[in-house]
Amino acid sequence: MGISIFNIGISGMHAAQTGLITAGHNITNAATPGYSREEVIQTTNVAQATGNGFLGQGVAVKTVRRLYSDALSGQLTLAQAQGGQIDAYNAQIKQLSNMFGDPSAGLAPALSAFFGGLADVASHPESIPSRQALLSSAGTLTARFRDLDQQMSQMRSSINSDITTSITSINGFAQQIANLNQQIVTAEGGSALQQPANDLRDQRDALVASLNQEVRASVIKEDNGAYDVFIGNGQPVVLGGQLFGLSATPSAVDPQRVMVGYNNGASISALAESSLQGGTLGGLLSFRRDSLDTAQNALGRVALGMAQSLNAQHALGQDLNGVMGGDLFSVDGPAVVANSNNTSSAAMSATVQDASALTTSDYLLQYKGNVAGNENFQLTRTSDGRTTSASFSSATGYPQSLQVDGLTVTLSAGAAVNDSWTIEPTRFAASSIRLALSDTASIAAAAPIRTAAALTNTSKATISAGAVTSVVGLPLPAAVTLTFNAAAGQFAVSGAVPPVSPITYSAGSPISFNGLSFSITGTPSNGDSFTISRNTGGSTDNRNALALGLLQTTKTLGRNAAIVGATASASFNDAYSEMVSQIGNTARQTEVTAAAQANVIVQAKQALQSLSGVNLDEEAANLLRFQQAYQASGKMMQIASTLFQSVLDLAK
Amino acid sequence: MRISSNTIYEASVNAMQQQSAKLLQVQQQISTGRRILTPADDPIGAAQALQVTQAQTLNAQYSTNAGSASDSLTLEESVLGNVTSLLQDVRTTAINAGNGALNSTDRAALATDLSGRYQQLLGLANTVDGNGQYLFSGYQGGVRPFTETAPGTVAYNGDQGQRLIQISASEQLPVSDAGSDVFQRIPDGQGAYQDVFKTIHDLVQLLQTSPGGAGLANGLSSAQTNIDNALSNVTAMRASAGSRLQELDAVQTAGQDRALQYSQTLSRLQDVDYAKAAAELTQQQVNLEAAQKSFVKMAGLSLFNYL
Repeated sequence: MGISIFNIGISGMHAAQTGLITAGHNITNAATPGYSREEVIQTTNVAQATGNGFLGQGVAVKTVRRLYSDALSGQLTLAQAQGGQIDAYNAQIKQLSNMFGDPSAGLAPALSAFFGGLADVASHPESIPSRQALLSSAGTLTARFRDLDQQMSQMRSSINSDITTSITSINGFAQQIANLNQQIVTAEGGSALQQPANDLRDQRDALVASLNQEVRASVIKEDNGAYDVFIGNGQPVVLGGQLFGLSATPSAVDPQRVMVGYNNGASISALAESSLQGGTLGGLLSFRRDSLDTAQNALGRVALGMAQSLNAQHALGQDLNGVMGGDLFSVDGPAVVANSNNTSSAAMSATVQDASALTTSDYLLQYKGNVAGNENFQLTRTSDGRTTSASFSSATGYPQSLQVDGLTVTLSAGAAVNDSWTIEPTRFAASSIRLALSDTASIAAAAPIRTAAALTNTSKATISAGAVTSVVGLPLPAAVTLTFNAAAGQFAVSGAVPPVSPITYSAGSPISFNGLSFSITGTPSNGDSFTISRNTGGSTDNRNALALGLLQTTKTLGRNAAIVGATASASFNDAYSEMVSQIGNTARQTEVTAAAQANVIVQAKQALQSLSGVNLDEEAANLLRFQQAYQASGKMMQIASTLFQSVLDLAK
Repeated sequence: MRISSNTIYEASVNAMQQQSAKLLQVQQQISTGRRILTPADDPIGAAQALQVTQAQTLNAQYSTNAGSASDSLTLEESVLGNVTSLLQDVRTTAINAGNGALNSTDRAALATDLSGRYQQLLGLANTVDGNGQYLFSGYQGGVRPFTETAPGTVAYNGDQGQRLIQISASEQLPVSDAGSDVFQRIPDGQGAYQDVFKTIHDLVQLLQTSPGGAGLANGLSSAQTNIDNALSNVTAMRASAGSRLQELDAVQTAGQDRALQYSQTLSRLQDVDYAKAAAELTQQQVNLEAAQKSFVKMAGLSLFNYL
């Protein structure tokens, strides 16, 4: 009898002690990341059947379990993976947005200053200080392009190192998960009682959560308690105790671009960027793909478009030395990079044939092989996946060309099936734009021709100032004279190279030949003559400077090449503001999404915490409860002892 | 709902961080005076601000251009004014020379006076502007437009180009006139042109050599007609320059109105509304303080205090 009471008392003390230990464990780990509160599951001992009924045998501790829910934890992990992606994206786009946010530091002021300089030269074409100021402001403009591009390139290289860091973290987490898998399997499988290794499991779940903050990873539980972890399109990174590491690997199409390489044990291959969603890594990859590439291309497009339009107009002018204008700016054209996995060494090339139709996208050129004597190529615009195919008979031979969005892609022979090339039309324009002139006299502010009505003319008919539309045939080899034949109603043209047949006169109608364009108005008399000659000594002529200045507001970019007859829709400044607005919009959208996602995370965390989190008040109450239980059990043993003493005393 | 102790801390810290971020945003707006700190704050407004800034800069440029156009035209107008009064003097002299009381010595004296006028006119035709560029040489500012190749024969070395200046988005204003049009392509009313230098030189010769009588009277009469033609040509040129100056005034006034409008638009787009921002700052401050105080109260609550 007394023994039984002792036993019950001991079982109670043991249970209370376990409760106190567990409460203490909970209290001390209240702030431990990933810790789930634990509770003691106790049960009654098997009762002793007697003739008087079942006599209770005290309490037994069945197990200590953690309060944890896979569903709640899974929700939190997913929310955190998404949050990680948005936060990483947000941090990057904010930098980009700040870069273009300062109205005094972006491209716009430099662009305005350059055109201001041009206007000043137009007002004082002969003035060397004005010309010098124009060269300086043009130099500043190109430097601003390069500087903005440089900042984006720096972001690019810091993204490369961020990706590498993220991969290192992922490998570290995966390694620890693999280690814990082994420990958990050993600990739980080794125990004959099959008790859960609560704290190890907490640690492993915390690692899975940390891994998900780097990249979205899914978990499959094995029967022995181990986790298998998968990323991307189901590539395993942890299988039980085995680790398949990731590595930073250069892209096959751009060695400067760090990709995520997957080591399947035999070889390393780059994982498709789009398959890696979630977490910091997902955010970095999607920012680079969706925002940084586009922004750098957009800036390059302004640089390339501006250089081409201004160069083309400048070439139609005449400088202070009477020489036709050279290039104002030099700029690199499209880059074509062969995929490093190509089996042939065929090289393709691309040039800009019409800058107004350039987009901000990159392109992928693929050789699809020879089908029934026809060579097949496919060009894909990466921004929207729009494809253009070229198919031509092998008999036609190479080189062939493919035209899309203002680009001319020259196809060369020798490609192997599925070889591909990446075309980046404007990626390197902003980084390479430079001023091509250094001599103030080389600015072609004047037009290369001038017109005159002969002083001997008897009528008041006048000739317009004239313009040139093509550099072919310039400078004029000789003055061109138009003499009116009243009887025929025609102008005879002499001195033109190549010769021009007589032109029927229609007052005010434009007359164009050999790249010259002008009009004659009034009623010319027979024998009246008009000349078009070289603009020798035209130091105060500003016609070309005016024409260059007009390009500031002319729509020269953004023509949709897919629509016949579409016209350019954006000036340089329009294209630039469109880019700034796009960055701003994305940044704003990301900010809003990030704030919303932060709330989702808080809610998911609170839901999980409300189950798994430690409440110190609750634990304080538990301490009191188990303390009293312990004291009560002790009291019981004291009573048992007294009872036992009474029995002993009987024998005295 | 069961609340974990961690949740109490995290929720409060989160709330305080959000309040601090808002407070900082307002504080930055106030300290920079800018409503849009980055394009993300208002992407549409930021793009609009870029467009309006370009329009504003362009407008200012047009105003500078108009200033320089005005300089050129004012100078031309004043030179043409001098030419007009010179020609009026020549005309008066030609009329005086017809006075029957004058003898050949008197006429020779008038001729000497007119020779001076001739040189003066040549000087005016070769006027240079403030930058040392000839006013009447067309595109060739560095070329002396009028040179006397023989007595009475003045060659025009310039061209018929007119210099233009962009004074608004759509308008290029001519700010010069070719010297040949002013001095040498003077319509004589019969479909031919005459040269004012030759007119004066012929008059000088007439006065130097004519014995008087009908020959003199006829010569003087045709000289007067020629001078009248020259005068009306110069007057027309001067009127045209004057009307262009008036147009400049109108364009500049419109430009000033636009400048005001642009700066108002920009201010509306970019600038912070201080009254609103100050009120917001106070409100955010109160919010943050409330969050802080309530956190301290809540964190102080613990059952352990009573154990």
